[in-house]
Amino acid sequence: MSVSTNDTTAKVSLRGFLAKYSVLIAFAAIVIFFSVASPTFLTPANLFNVLVNNVVMLAIVALGLTIVISSGGIDLSVGVSVDMASMIFVMLLAAGYSGVVGVAGGLGAALIVGVLNAILITRLNISPFLATLGVLFIGQSTQQLATSGGQPIYLTSGYAADQFNAIARTALFGMPTPVIVLIVLVVAVHVLLHRSVFGRYVQAMGAQPGVAWYSGIRVPRELSMVHVLCALLAGVTGILLSATVKSYVPLSGNAFLLDAIGATFIGTTLSRERKPSVIGTLLGVLLLAIVKNGLLLVGWNFYWQQVGIGVLVFLVLAASFGLRRAAH
Amino acid sequence: MSATVLHTDVGVSDEKQAAAKSAGRRFGALVVRLGAIAAFAAIMAYFVVFAPGFTSTFNLINVVEQSAILGVLAYGMTSVIIGGGSDVTEGGIDLSIAANMGLCAAVYATLLSMGYGDFLSVLAAIAVGMAVGALNALAVVGLGILPLLATLAVLNVAAGMELTLTQNTVVGASSPLLGVLVSGSFLGISALAWALIVFSAIMIVVVHGTSFGLRLYAVGGHPEAARAAGISVPFYVSFTYVLSGFCAAVASILTVSRLSASTPGSGELLLSVLAAALLGTVFSRRFVPTMGGTLLSVLFIGLLANGFQLLNVSSYWVNGVQGALILLVVAITSFARGSEGSR
Repeated sequence: MSVSTNDTTAKVSLRGFLAKYSVLIAFAAIVIFFSVASPTFLTPANLFNVLVNNVVMLAIVALGLTIVISSGGIDLSVGVSVDMASMIFVMLLAAGYSGVVGVAGGLGAALIVGVLNAILITRLNISPFLATLGVLFIGQSTQQLATSGGQPIYLTSGYAADQFNAIARTALFGMPTPVIVLIVLVVAVHVLLHRSVFGRYVQAMGAQPGVAWYSGIRVPRELSMVHVLCALLAGVTGILLSATVKSYVPLSGNAFLLDAIGATFIGTTLSRERKPSVIGTLLGVLLLAIVKNGLLLVGWNFYWQQVGIGVLVFLVLAASFGLRRAAH
Repeated sequence: MSATVLHTDVGVSDEKQAAAKSAGRRFGALVVRLGAIAAFAAIMAYFVVFAPGFTSTFNLINVVEQSAILGVLAYGMTSVIIGGGSDVTEGGIDLSIAANMGLCAAVYATLLSMGYGDFLSVLAAIAVGMAVGALNALAVVGLGILPLLATLAVLNVAAGMELTLTQNTVVGASSPLLGVLVSGSFLGISALAWALIVFSAIMIVVVHGTSFGLRLYAVGGHPEAARAAGISVPFYVSFTYVLSGFCAAVASILTVSRLSASTPGSGELLLSVLAAALLGTVFSRRFVPTMGGTLLSVLFIGLLANGFQLLNVSSYWVNGVQGALILLVVAITSFARGSEGSR
């Protein structure tokens, strides 16, 4: 009798363990699999390539979404923030302004998107989902109108290209500048979200909005901050994107949205309460990036990669949610 | 003593302020609501007067035709939101519906081009659509994954399978059924328009005229209470996802008939589908999603695009105006609901 009880407890805790670490286990298994399947996968050159090309920009957008999702909201307009920053940045450079002015203008454009979201959500009491959906539509129209229907702007040579290279093709301390930017932002957002008073307020709003209000947290102010920060982070990605591809392609930011939401929520499986965290989000981004890269290396074409990623995310979520449900 | 008096005073003035605030809010809500209705009416009136041929029967039927695909998809989305509750991150949502339609269209067009008949091809498209819906149901109900996440993963799978099947190309298709849908008409109304009319009638009757529909609302509104009342919550929620997949399959046949082909990029419809389903809530007095409300918002979006087209306004404006309208409408909703519905 007692043996069987112990047995069930052991089983339950094993399930709990598996549920908690399913993402990490999946991550390790995937790395091992691709290391065996492709000789180039685990080379420093390839991992570096994944970091620069697949991780940095998605991770920065996902950091912003991590803050928003921690506050109990969502931002569907991150793609618009990426695009607007990219558009203004490239347009300013095309007009002959310096890189510094371009970056400031780009971030300013993203800031406007964030402030618009903040006003809609905190002043007009529109739910974050709908407010940012509306802003997404308006942002798409704005870009189409500004570029006569979506004409890309290419600045591949001359002064502007030098300015782009100064951002995307330089190195600090032996690291490409975009990677340094990512590291700084990761540390900053981690401190902000997990080690600061602001972060505690954000988590409180996410867990219990009513209680947060009655405990004297100025919910509208903090929530505005959350949305502005998210838009600004997405704006940083917009600038890095433009500097890397030396162009502005309208409506290209939306590609980050679903991956960033996916990465953030994959990260939530790390915590028992399913709270988003910076570490979890990074893990989610790395998981998606490594799977994309690994599938490419073993010869899957782009189309099958998408199926592969979908199936994998599905399985990881199924393992985490299903096992935890069974453990309770 | 004086402190107590002071305290009471503050209390009274607080109550007065609160009363004044709620009266002000109600007044504000009324103004905004009337303003929004006036704005809707003004836009329509403008089109009637200035857009050549806006009110012609031909044009109105054309709008219904154009709205058929969006409408059928929006019904699927609406049923999922009704059954899953409309919470932002935890409520019912089907992000895979547009990608699912793309996959079904690809399956349908590919089978037709391989020489299989209409019957088998339609059957296969519906089977695929419902299978994708069942996968969503399994993930949400069986495994307890958040709908937002589960359907996001399924979106990737469906979109990837469509790309794999078609290699990102246009697959042309023609068949007797498609011929009927393109050129057939009855009582002067084209087949595509009939498809929306019949589908709408069925959805409205089933969801708003039967006990089944009432139970569906109970499940979405208060799952615990529904369970206590003996309703099988898992069955109803699963049903909405499978229904959503079925709607995607029906829409896929309509889209293949409109374009005489299956084309890549159907996933872009997702946001419009979401907008239509969510915008529809404003047409219900209690601001819940309803099939009739969804139909009205789909037609409204259709009329808007059509009016712009007739006025020769650039189509680039349509998205933006649609977005601004969503915000306007939802702002009114939250005003009218009061602070209770703010999050």
